[in-house]
Amino acid sequence: MATPEMADTEPTSPEQPNCAAAESSPTTTCTGSHGASPSLRTIPSPTLCCACASASASASATTTSCPPSLQPPPWNPTSASPPPVYRPIRAPAINAPNHNQTAIILSPVPQPLPVDVLPLPHRFEVPAKRITSPADIDHFHSSASGKGFLGFVAGLSQAVLLKKISDPLPVPLSGTLESLLNLLDTLSRWADEIPPLPHPGRYGNPAFRLWHERLENFAEQLVLDLLPDGDIKPAATVELVPYLLDSFGNSTRIDYGTGHETNFAAFLYCLARLGLIKEEDYQGLVLKVFVKYLELLRKLQMVYSLEPAGSHGVWGLDDYHFLPFIFGSAQLVDHKYMKPKSIHNQDILDNFSGEYMYLGCIAFVKKVKKGLFAEHSPMLDDISGVAHWAKVNSGMLKMYKAEVLEKVPIMQHFLFGSIIKWFSSKNQVQMANQTASPGTIN
Amino acid sequence: MPSHADLDRQIELLRECKPLPEAEVKALCEQARAILMEEWNVQPVRCPVTICGDIHGQFHDLIELFRIGGEAPDTNYLFMGDYVDRGYYSVETVTLLVALKVRYRDRITILRGNHESRQITQVYGFYDECLRKYGNANVWKYFTDLFDYLPLTAVVESQIFCLHGGLSPSLDTLDNIRALDRIQEVPHEGPMCDLLWSDPDDRCGWGISPRGAGYTFGQDIAAQFNHTNGLSLISRAHQLVMEGYNWCQDKNVVTVFSAPNYCYRCGNMAAILEIGENMQQEFIQFDPAPRQIEPDTTRKTPDYFLFKLL
Repeated sequence: MATPEMADTEPTSPEQPNCAAAESSPTTTCTGSHGASPSLRTIPSPTLCCACASASASASATTTSCPPSLQPPPWNPTSASPPPVYRPIRAPAINAPNHNQTAIILSPVPQPLPVDVLPLPHRFEVPAKRITSPADIDHFHSSASGKGFLGFVAGLSQAVLLKKISDPLPVPLSGTLESLLNLLDTLSRWADEIPPLPHPGRYGNPAFRLWHERLENFAEQLVLDLLPDGDIKPAATVELVPYLLDSFGNSTRIDYGTGHETNFAAFLYCLARLGLIKEEDYQGLVLKVFVKYLELLRKLQMVYSLEPAGSHGVWGLDDYHFLPFIFGSAQLVDHKYMKPKSIHNQDILDNFSGEYMYLGCIAFVKKVKKGLFAEHSPMLDDISGVAHWAKVNSGMLKMYKAEVLEKVPIMQHFLFGSIIKWFSSKNQVQMANQTASPGTIN
Repeated sequence: MPSHADLDRQIELLRECKPLPEAEVKALCEQARAILMEEWNVQPVRCPVTICGDIHGQFHDLIELFRIGGEAPDTNYLFMGDYVDRGYYSVETVTLLVALKVRYRDRITILRGNHESRQITQVYGFYDECLRKYGNANVWKYFTDLFDYLPLTAVVESQIFCLHGGLSPSLDTLDNIRALDRIQEVPHEGPMCDLLWSDPDDRCGWGISPRGAGYTFGQDIAAQFNHTNGLSLISRAHQLVMEGYNWCQDKNVVTVFSAPNYCYRCGNMAAILEIGENMQQEFIQFDPAPRQIEPDTTRKTPDYFLFKLL
């Protein structure tokens, strides 16, 4: 069922001409006339146009391209002859992936990087999706943007090592953080004001679309409220608003997943690049703002029955979230008596879910899922066998990079603009302009 | 080539939720391929038959489905894809269905869903599950190679058109579908992709699918397709519906979803659609299987959390 995130392909036009492409192609010839007789049975040429071989090819009956192929004979319901024997005509599109345990074990743990603050004044732009292929993923991770974003996430994790949610902050909440908390409060209030609609049919509740519509209508104002007076107000809104809009799920699909969570982190990273969030703010950003974001998302998930976007089911960490497991495991590093296996202790969950995000996540999963924990959450169960939280934390960071930031189906929705740049230098832009073919930006 | 006795033993084992050894899976997939390659893109199916939607590795619920709908081969079945991914028992689920197909080829029809794909199973769990249960990816490869041969659609008594996703703007007639070259990985776009990915929608005409693959199609499209092809109904799966089935588009289209309490949390009912001897339709809903066999819960540390061995 719903696997919402796949290649963000440009849809083919419904009224594509069927044979035009084939006829102009030197490798493909149309040997049969349209409406070919049912006796068109033996097909000696491997270059036959697949659209024309059909006994009743209509104007719109076509494939977008006509690969050379063997053809089953036309359907004849009265014929007693057996169906045609097909044979595979091309190699599998994807071979078995290389599962290299050693490579995973040896892969470096993402390390914190200081955020490179943008010099002002700055020219903002509307961000766009750029990633469509594994090659694009490689490009992203070798770029300053990819490294900077991952370093930011690792930095947030480092900032909450050994910290409880209620621990005093090193510096008072900044104006930006206060504004972010207000923003999240506002969004949470809207969920109270827009109740789910009684509806038959699909899982996701259509009232989420009303909630999201309100977000779209007010997003610009919400972002303006975050920005201090000066150079970037209101110019930065064109670039920041799309990140915010993609941070709370998709209103058409009525779903939410790690891609949306990553967009929220990217929104925060943009604010950091603009100098609005400093390293000293990180603890508050994670333990106040992100915790509130998580509360809001759980509320939206429950109230509007958001489908898990691209969930791996039992084979993923969680149906919706990843970052709280990174931050939450950091909080517990070197805890004097709570170990990774403590997630099986209900007393500990009851008493400490409000202080430690990781435990909160486990408690929430146990609340909403029926059945055995080891069956509905085998990943979390496996990880509970790891000896130390430090290893859980470093493993989570590696896993986030590999399972979220390196996955095309998730990252195809990631946005790039002037703050998180797709091209890091003019040279690359020029090279790309010279070599890019439609649909592949390298 | 194993006798029926061998197959029957395997099916018994599988019904107890025990996976087959790798070599037996390989042999089974080879037998299944020989059967599936003879089936049509639009596989003709006779009534009576029971039509089922997504299963997604929810093995115990599949056993419950058979308990409620009747055991195979006493009841004829038509499954509309998505056997694997997300659930804990994709391996056991798909092996059982394939074994039943090999044993009773005329009694069970298994179509391809968008999850019966190399690319999708690498992201949504089946690949990980195979690695975990067999220690290597061979079984994943045997099955995903077999998936290329699954029929895309079926038509019950020339009246009920069954498929996983929905219609395609490139396919007006069943003959158009018959002309597709289906023996390949599910493409990113094009008519074969659409059949496995599209969804019905409240809006008329064709729309861009928010899934990023396939299209949305309106009631006008579905009605025209049914009219053109002399069909009475499009039966499809692919979407989680709370009652297990959902009529839409003025009864031109019905969605059937057969994985109850999807992902252990969604609280939905599952349903199957029984087509009787006289083509009468009856939906049977069911809840999650009450009894669960204790899973093998030996912990295996994921690679990301392993220490470097010096």
